Amino acid sequence: MPVDPYAEAVDHGPVRFLHRLNPLAKVGGPLPAMIVLIVARGIELPVLFCIVTGALILVGAHLTRRAAVGVFVVLPAVVAVLSVSFGLWADPAEAATAGGAASTVLVQIGDYRFTAGALLVGATTALRLAGILLLSLLAGLTSTGPDLVRALVQQLHVPYRVGYTVLAAYRFVPRFRHELDIIRQAHRVRGVAPGRGPLAALRRWLGYVVPLLAGALRHAERVALAMDSRAFGAFGTRTERHLVPFRMRDWLFMAAFWALTAALVLVGAS
Amino acid sequence: MPLSRPLVRAEGVRIRHEGGERFTPDGASLEVRAGEVVLLLGPSGCGKSTFTLALNGLVPHAVPAELEGTVSIGGRPTTELTVAEASATVSMVFQDPDAQIVTGTVLDEVCFGPENLRVPVGEVLARAELALRQVGLWERRQENPDVLSGGGRQRLAIACALALRSPVIVLDEPTANLDPVGIDEVYAVLEVLVRQGGHALVLVEHDLDAAIGLVDRIVVLDHRGRPAFDGPAADVLQRHAEDLLALGVWLPTAVIAGLRLRRAGHRVDELPLTPEALTEVLDGLGGREAPGAHTDTDTDTDSARNQRLPAPPRSGEASSSPESRDRTGAAGDRAESPSASGAKGAATASAPATTGAHGAAVRVRGLRVARGGSEILHGIDLEIARGSFVAIVGTNGAGKTTLLQAMAGVVTPPRASVDLLGIDPARADVRTLARTVGFVFQNPEHQFVRHTVADELAHGLELQRAAPDEVRERVDRMLARFGLEEHRDVHPFLLSGGQKRRLSVGTALIAGAPLLALDEPTFGQDRQRSAELLDLLSDLNRAGTTVVVVTHDLQLVADHASHLVVLSDGAVSAHGTVDEVLASGAVEAAGLRRPALVRAVRAAADARWHPVTRLTRLEEVAGAFARQAEGERLARPAEGERLARPDAAGGLPGSDVSDSGVMP
Repeated sequence: MPVDPYAEAVDHGPVRFLHRLNPLAKVGGPLPAMIVLIVARGIELPVLFCIVTGALILVGAHLTRRAAVGVFVVLPAVVAVLSVSFGLWADPAEAATAGGAASTVLVQIGDYRFTAGALLVGATTALRLAGILLLSLLAGLTSTGPDLVRALVQQLHVPYRVGYTVLAAYRFVPRFRHELDIIRQAHRVRGVAPGRGPLAALRRWLGYVVPLLAGALRHAERVALAMDSRAFGAFGTRTERHLVPFRMRDWLFMAAFWALTAALVLVGAS
Repeated sequence: MPLSRPLVRAEGVRIRHEGGERFTPDGASLEVRAGEVVLLLGPSGCGKSTFTLALNGLVPHAVPAELEGTVSIGGRPTTELTVAEASATVSMVFQDPDAQIVTGTVLDEVCFGPENLRVPVGEVLARAELALRQVGLWERRQENPDVLSGGGRQRLAIACALALRSPVIVLDEPTANLDPVGIDEVYAVLEVLVRQGGHALVLVEHDLDAAIGLVDRIVVLDHRGRPAFDGPAADVLQRHAEDLLALGVWLPTAVIAGLRLRRAGHRVDELPLTPEALTEVLDGLGGREAPGAHTDTDTDTDSARNQRLPAPPRSGEASSSPESRDRTGAAGDRAESPSASGAKGAATASAPATTGAHGAAVRVRGLRVARGGSEILHGIDLEIARGSFVAIVGTNGAGKTTLLQAMAGVVTPPRASVDLLGIDPARADVRTLARTVGFVFQNPEHQFVRHTVADELAHGLELQRAAPDEVRERVDRMLARFGLEEHRDVHPFLLSGGQKRRLSVGTALIAGAPLLALDEPTFGQDRQRSAELLDLLSDLNRAGTTVVVVTHDLQLVADHASHLVVLSDGAVSAHGTVDEVLASGAVEAAGLRRPALVRAVRAAADARWHPVTRLTRLEEVAGAFARQAEGERLARPAEGERLARPDAAGGLPGSDVSDSGVMP
């Protein structure tokens, strides 16, 4: 069952507290931490942030089986793979300075030596990426698309025409995927650019562009007419049935997350 | 009777799209009063849809187009109103249900309009609840609109219009994208709205059999978008039926049947509008038959019915008419072998098609197709005779398209489950497949791969590595055949809808495929284009091409196909000649509705009408009756003459009475 991006937000009780927060708080809180991870050098901070954020998700988010497997099984596996592959690309000079046992050779093939230092550099990069992903999942796994748009409109005063148009455009995605499938079938039957290899594939894909765009433009035009005839954009504001308030607990969450970030940075530096 | 002030009044409306050459509509006028249902008719290209867009100010406010004349809502011209202000009086329901949904739940969708108008929350919810209850979707308010059926989504669109609380709802081809079940759902809702009063509707609709019961007034535009007729529905249809046919406007089946009866020599004073009225007319005719005639013909047709014969008319008189001989001959040739018409039993599950002398074009054995983890087709056994015209029908989700695609190799079937004129689509390469079967997709644009019409046609031949001279010659011939010579260097996407459709059929045929498979060829198209296409298919079929179509349109099936395959839940529930299957009840059992003509004749008291499924057959049978009556009244030749008078000379333009020209 595909995830329904429009599903109503569900309350999962006080322990799964992330679901009760305003989406903006869940984006704003982790934002400094993400910046820290982008600029951080050593492996300590990425490790710390991965552990802390992983724990927050484990406690505060109600995970579907799929999401849980993704976060706690697939993601670590991906980190392991990426650590090795980034390690292969690591600059030997940088790898040599990475720490005490950096020059320990783990694998040697001919002239090439894969050292513990290189693995460390690779793991740092992989964990930084994983950390940023986990931080964004704090909001991603616990808020709905419409709630984020509502919060943007209600708190950040993004014009509702923009927000709701984005939301409506999201509906196009499955439709285009379906249409693309049909176009591919049709072109295959007609024997367009058969054969293997990147060149044939490129020619095939170029062939899909015109029919897909023609369909997309027509669809967009129709949706726009339907929205216009239902008074979309008539006034500067519209009635909001769902209020997504920014409460004290949202401020608290943001402040706490910032404090935590600062603390971790201090710990990592010492 | 004092008339209330019209809610919407359009006067002398001319609209030209930006960059367009002609004004369509060109001088159209329309008045809508409270509680009135106005049907807008006109041939395709006359600007009906554009006209509807002007009724709530989308033209000129949202659509770049030039508007002349005036459209006023509640006395104020739309040029002075915003679309949002107009929406308080006029709301719209469009053809494509998918293109009208913008939010994530049924409830949010209905609230969307009132929220935009800054209606307070409590009132928004009250309106939404009422609107959803009116269309029967209140229980499903928390669901994503995507999971609703086509009919459900179109009901949702109607609820959205209701929530705006506008007294006028404009519906532009609201059922063109729906299956028969969906069409019934939508009209059930509209009927309640009209019966409860308060709502005025403006309808653009091609399925007049569904709509006619609701309509109070009909406004007709001619092919250039100028006003042709405007008046009470029965009046316009009964007094101008023949003019409307000449215009290329579709009429209810019953009206056409009435004209056919007249042509066959019967006196029909008032053309029937609904199937029920047609039944009454038929019963009236039966009553006038000489009693002596009954015994013979009754036994005759009774036996025919028992054997479920498609039966060319038994009476010698009927088959001696040159036209009927021609028709039944053609149908007989392609429909069944002589041996099959004898003792063929009721249509039963997976009964093999009557293969005739030529053998099978398609042989399907134990075909199973799964998609996304669930099995869609559960072991299909099917044989399609060479030279037949087969229609596959079934409700949405029955697996029709999947079956067609697997048969034609568009999705690869399991090996050895399909035999396509000796090749196995599971193993054949694209070139062989293209030589054997032409597949026409629902939307012709999807299958266009080149930049000019001529190249598009040449593509299939180049794939077969034909010599350049031969390619040129065959492309020229195909262009001429489909009337596309003038457009040979045009980009396929710039053709009109009907031309695109013809080109897609041409590309499917040019490599010489003896088998043509079409997926919903009339979906979302107006009747004129459907008829054009169906006539083309009938011609091809007469010339020997085996045609297989997936369709929702049962009257189309009845008028054109020789065989009918009914699918339900991924299995063949009936297969046989059209008449057999329509007589067997399998169509209703599969959740579909029989075409209007069949419903009308089956309800007739005189059993001799019962086997009729096609309008041409109705005329034949009626003609036989008339002649029979005449023969028995030889003593009164004057009477016979009087009966026979309103025939073809009575003014039916010949071209419009061709097999599908009047297909309702």
